[in-house]
Amino acid sequence: MVLGFALALGRSSRRRTVRGSVSVYNWLFRATPTLLQLLFIWDALPQLWHVFAGTWFTPFLAAFIALSLNEAAYMAQITRAGLLSVAPGEELAGRALGLSRRQILRRVIVPQAVRVVIPPTGNEFITLLKLTSLASVISVHELLTAAQELAAVRFQYPEAFLSALVYYLVLVSILMAVQSRLERRFTWTSARRGRRRAAPAVPVVSHDAR
Amino acid sequence: MSEAILRAEGLHKRYGELEVLRGVSFEVARGEVKVIIGPSGSGKSTLLRCLSLLEEPDAGEVSLEGRRPGHGEVGMVFQRFNLFQNMTALGNVMVGLTDVRRLPKREARDQAIEFLERVGLRDKAHQYPDELSGGQQQRVAIARALVMRPKAMLFDEPTSALDVELVREVLDVMEGLARDGMTMVVVSHELRFAHHVASSILMMDEGAVIEEAPPAEFFSAPKHERTRRFLALVE
Repeated sequence: MVLGFALALGRSSRRRTVRGSVSVYNWLFRATPTLLQLLFIWDALPQLWHVFAGTWFTPFLAAFIALSLNEAAYMAQITRAGLLSVAPGEELAGRALGLSRRQILRRVIVPQAVRVVIPPTGNEFITLLKLTSLASVISVHELLTAAQELAAVRFQYPEAFLSALVYYLVLVSILMAVQSRLERRFTWTSARRGRRRAAPAVPVVSHDAR
Repeated sequence: MSEAILRAEGLHKRYGELEVLRGVSFEVARGEVKVIIGPSGSGKSTLLRCLSLLEEPDAGEVSLEGRRPGHGEVGMVFQRFNLFQNMTALGNVMVGLTDVRRLPKREARDQAIEFLERVGLRDKAHQYPDELSGGQQQRVAIARALVMRPKAMLFDEPTSALDVELVREVLDVMEGLARDGMTMVVVSHELRFAHHVASSILMMDEGAVIEEAPPAEFFSAPKHERTRRFLALVE
């Protein structure tokens, strides 16, 4: 998320090289399958740079890095849409009052962008959680692998997979609950009930084929 | 009339090919109310933005009491209010005091409430912009600018985004300000307001001031053909 925010700011940078490299980054990570990125970081990277060949570079760490880099590209797009959703007139008003650019960003733009960004970010987290099942290919012992092993040993496929399913449901439900709390927190009506005008549309990215 | 407090000298501004201001000069004396009218694209808004330092003119100078205006010294009110949507009415009025003037919260709050009272919105202090009518939002915006104790106030079509029945409450606040001796530059096509409140009226066309006169003279005997045609259209 932090990387995504930095990337989003980079997209609106005044320097062309910064804008350009952010675009290339987003293009690279969104145009290639997550599975390939995962395999590349775990299998190919140690051969390219020997620093990554050490024992410290565990499958878990590789999965963590790959999924974070991947996620940042998506978060960058979402954050950018959030920042753009704040009416430009508010920035103007802030400048007329004498607020600095940083103050305007911190006091006015970011809080409002957060509101717009929460629902798609919720989606991202859920997708990310489920994408962890891909990490099995680089031998991370994640939830689905654990279920498969259990099933193979005891030959109880329905039980094992059903319990994995329940675990996923519980984890995702927790994320969803957190999301709706956050949404209420960032709604600006005195009653804090969703009476605010519809949040500006954010381009929704489909993840099905990642 | 007393000495000039706000002065623009030979302002030029172009956006690419488009020359928006072609050498605009004028001055406003303390306590004077200048109303600027003119067709859209004549450079009125750009002029106000240069006066409030939101835009840097390509050539020419803006001065307030003989020097460059500081933060919040020239208050600006926009057509679309531009309130910070994530803050209450009170928050909007306070933020300049806490973040620009660095006043302690309690003091900022007291002053903000005082100014909300002045625009008749003390009871709306804890409402968010979303829950206020356009007229109320514009009055909050006026309080937000006033609380900085500006030496002059600029209004960029402050009532043209409002429903007719809400225009009056905003004009009332502005008339009150004028009576209290606030120096004001108002871009507006509210000709009745101009007639009653303005010390003089400026007509702009194609990036230049083509006529300036006190209201009585301006309306009864406009010198310029362009002004006559424009007045006929607006009325």
